[in-house]
Amino acid sequence: MFKNKSVRILAIAPLSRGLGYAVMEGSNNLVASGNKVILRDKNAKALAWVNRFIQFYQPDVLVLPNVTAADTRRAARIKTLHRKIVAWAGKKKVKVRLVSVTQVRTRLLGEPKGTKFAVAKTLAEKFPVELGKRLPPKRRPWMSEDPRMDIFDAVGLAVAFWPKNK
Amino acid sequence: MKSLSNYLQSQRKRLSLSQEEVGFLLGIRGMNKSAKVCRDEKFAREPSLLDALAYEVIYGRPIRELFAGLYEQAGQDVAARAKFLSFRKLRKPDVRKQETIIQLAAKAGVNSSNQCSKTNLFVF
Repeated sequence: MFKNKSVRILAIAPLSRGLGYAVMEGSNNLVASGNKVILRDKNAKALAWVNRFIQFYQPDVLVLPNVTAADTRRAARIKTLHRKIVAWAGKKKVKVRLVSVTQVRTRLLGEPKGTKFAVAKTLAEKFPVELGKRLPPKRRPWMSEDPRMDIFDAVGLAVAFWPKNK
Repeated sequence: MKSLSNYLQSQRKRLSLSQEEVGFLLGIRGMNKSAKVCRDEKFAREPSLLDALAYEVIYGRPIRELFAGLYEQAGQDVAARAKFLSFRKLRKPDVRKQETIIQLAAKAGVNSSNQCSKTNLFVF
């Protein structure tokens, strides 16, 4: 694990609608976060966005979700995209770290079980200025997932990357 | 880690301002005020001194923080030039000038990133 606070990380959460991204410098400094909705030719466009982010933010470490972990289910397309992003980061000589959903929950909620909304709420409390207004309403059974949850997925990965004592 | 060229976007989002609003505050005239601000934020353009000072007023952060990457770059350049200057032989040795040059090089070395220490650019 990185102990140096002066490390810039880029967390990417590839999801069904596109991708969420977060850039952090140290464990408490969220530089940028957002989501990109991609409708057609998703993998190619998502890869282009990742390339753009890497060139723009020049991260030391790229943080991705661990799609092969036992606690994770992902579509075949996203797994393919994940492999492509890892390969692309290798070409660009950016270190890649994988963080599982359980690690995110353990880091933010203190226990391995919990809902995405609970994680998002914790993050909104941790970064009230950056994320406070972006917290979507709690999802009801008849509702689709809010696109803004992509942001919280990415920020969750970024926060879980850092050791807890920092 | 090398700092980003500027942190204008994150500071603007911290204050919940739009690019158009910041453009208006900067005094940009015309229809698309946001274009100039966007180019500043995307590192496509280096703002003028007046604009940089205006950014400092708007965001309430010093220029060296807002334009951290540029500041580091300037620090490295000044240190390299100060080192060059320190090697110059003077007809009349001036202790105060010599101290100033060495201090300038050392000061810039402290503010610069780890990359500088790797190259030992500021070690005298």
